Amino acid sequence: MALPEVHNIAQVPITSHAFSGDRSQLAVSLNSNDVQIYSRSGTDFVPTETLSEHDKLITSIDWAPNSNRIVTASQDRNAYVWQETPDPETGKLVWKPTLVLLRINRSATYVRWSPNEDKFAVASGARAISICSFDAENNWWVAKHLKKPIRSTVLSVDWHPNNVLLAAGSADMKARVFSAFIKEVDQRPAPTVWGSKLPFNTVCGEYTSPAGGWVHTVGFSPSGDVLAFASHDSSVSIVYPGGPAIYNIRMTSLPLVTLTWTSEDSIVAAGHDCRPLVFTGSEAGWQETGTLDDSKSGETSRAGAAGASSVGRLKAGAFATFRDADTRGQSSISGSSPSADTKLLTVHQNTITNARPYEIHGDQVTRVSTTGVDGILAIWDVNAVTALTARVGGIQLR
Amino acid sequence: MSNVLRPYLAAVRSTLTAALTLENFSSQVVERHNKPEVETGTSKEVLLNPLTISRNENERVLIEPSVNSIRLSIKIKQADEIERILCHKFTRFMMQRAESFIVLRRKPVQGYDISFLITNTHTETMLKHKIVDFIIQFMEEVDKEISEMKLSLNARARIVAESYLTAFNT
Amino acid sequence: MDTAFRKIDIDIYDEDTLQESELYDADPRDPAQVLDDAKQRQAAVRSSLAKGDIGEALSITLDNAPYGPGVDAAKEITLQTLLTILNSTKSTEITGIIKTLSQDSQDTLMKYLYKGMGMPGWGDISGSVLLGWHEKLTEVAGTGSIVRAMTDRRTV
Repeated sequence: MALPEVHNIAQVPITSHAFSGDRSQLAVSLNSNDVQIYSRSGTDFVPTETLSEHDKLITSIDWAPNSNRIVTASQDRNAYVWQETPDPETGKLVWKPTLVLLRINRSATYVRWSPNEDKFAVASGARAISICSFDAENNWWVAKHLKKPIRSTVLSVDWHPNNVLLAAGSADMKARVFSAFIKEVDQRPAPTVWGSKLPFNTVCGEYTSPAGGWVHTVGFSPSGDVLAFASHDSSVSIVYPGGPAIYNIRMTSLPLVTLTWTSEDSIVAAGHDCRPLVFTGSEAGWQETGTLDDSKSGETSRAGAAGASSVGRLKAGAFATFRDADTRGQSSISGSSPSADTKLLTVHQNTITNARPYEIHGDQVTRVSTTGVDGILAIWDVNAVTALTARVGGIQLR
Repeated sequence: MSNVLRPYLAAVRSTLTAALTLENFSSQVVERHNKPEVETGTSKEVLLNPLTISRNENERVLIEPSVNSIRLSIKIKQADEIERILCHKFTRFMMQRAESFIVLRRKPVQGYDISFLITNTHTETMLKHKIVDFIIQFMEEVDKEISEMKLSLNARARIVAESYLTAFNT
Repeated sequence: MDTAFRKIDIDIYDEDTLQESELYDADPRDPAQVLDDAKQRQAAVRSSLAKGDIGEALSITLDNAPYGPGVDAAKEITLQTLLTILNSTKSTEITGIIKTLSQDSQDTLMKYLYKGMGMPGWGDISGSVLLGWHEKLTEVAGTGSIVRAMTDRRTV
């Protein structure tokens, strides 16, 4: 069983991560206003550069693999495109930002380059998605808005491989497929299962999970013919637009917040449960097949602690905590807790917020990278699936 | 007693675990703000159904989840007047020092004795399961503490009464 | 001076604001019909209970349970019926019965357990029964089911 490659990038949450095309560099946002670039040196990542231009939390980063440009979105309502250019004085390559005219008045929440890297989509809290393309005349990026019928903050977007269709998941509990056709940039696309005539802002589909819940993440399959989305009701839905079939898999664990397709018939998804899950299936049906996280550390000791004693083991002074806080000024809550089992069984110790393909062979993704609120970057072999046995999730009902 | 207490706390634990699935969510009403949606209540779609867990009429927990924060309110058992006074003094004492407890709210939600407000920042800087442990531990200890205080209060009252009445006992 | 106007929520008149009613698909059935259904089901449940088949009684109640606004009477009846069933189940049998239910029914049962616990007056049910069921149901259906009880706007 191949163990995941684990890097402790930081002690603070990683809000977003993106690798460069050759995977030698990594851009992360450490819950702050700056983007930190790391270079791989041997088995470690060493910080090389900091990109600061935003003045509020950076929510999302995407790195265009071929054109080597980084786009960042932030809660300060701005996005910047960063390009490596030689410094006029020293000739050294430095990252320079280009302004993006998003024309939104709420936070930007998510950003993704289109497959051809000639435009990108910025999801926002202004109930709109900005589709940005480059305006060479003014040397900036201009946006067109996808507005109707979005009713709430857009939480994620994903591009169809044909560079025109865009899927979006939003807090109004809907996953939608839009056309983001911009005539200055795009060729007329070939008809797909989603439709044939596609002017800008055509809604090609609108889907919702039966139990509702904000749609945290959306993803087109590699062929673009299937759409998957995960929503806050702890379920994953897989949509086949051709035959009007939607498979809804309800899970017993906590909601997923990120997913990525690894091949035409499998998905890796992760979220509040702190471990990546694998779903496989085809047009005939889908199911949860297992998890990539097989860390066994401390499993035996935990087995005893789980179950009946879950409440009993807490019998020790909460009031000692309060007294300490009052008389000695010790206000740390987790530190003064009596039980020593602060570590979860899983590799990630907190919510996984990002899962992205890392290594691709042909049309199969063989490794995925995940980052989470715990500041860990993990790279998983997607074939190392462990069946979900009776072992319940790391976080639930210990 | 522990027979009934255990499933009660187990229910609170599982509900709280399910509710602590928070994310960073900036306000879609006010520009460049980021506030606990459960407190502002301005966007209905990011609030979830509030859930109540109750052991009996006098002891219950209300959990109000939202996209970036949850509010947990506890109604503590108050069997008689003394317990009512003790409980009031006790919760007041803590809520005046709310900032030391990080997740404590300064005012309880109406109908409850003490409230906690847990935001996505808390779940990011602290371990989620430890926050749950803390709340459960608090609930376990608060009953015990109040009954202990009641006992010592009664004992003290008895001693005072005895020593006063010995004056007439000659 | 009259200050009541300060409390008016003007934001609901903004056409962009999402209304409560737009968050879920309304029950297509007519309220009166829902009430009839609930009553019929109550009778069916009684006969199942008389046979001692609790699993069947539960799935009858939880199938197509009323939701949404305007059907409070039907919801009340369903809750009453459900509480009767829960009360008359031996605690050792609970897990087995829950396992026979469909995922839909398990989620609906979770919603009713929270509704039962949220009722101000308790009716004729003790908290320990509901808490017992809650514990067993969580073991089977997991925290996912609780999350669905929170997210699902089709409240029972």
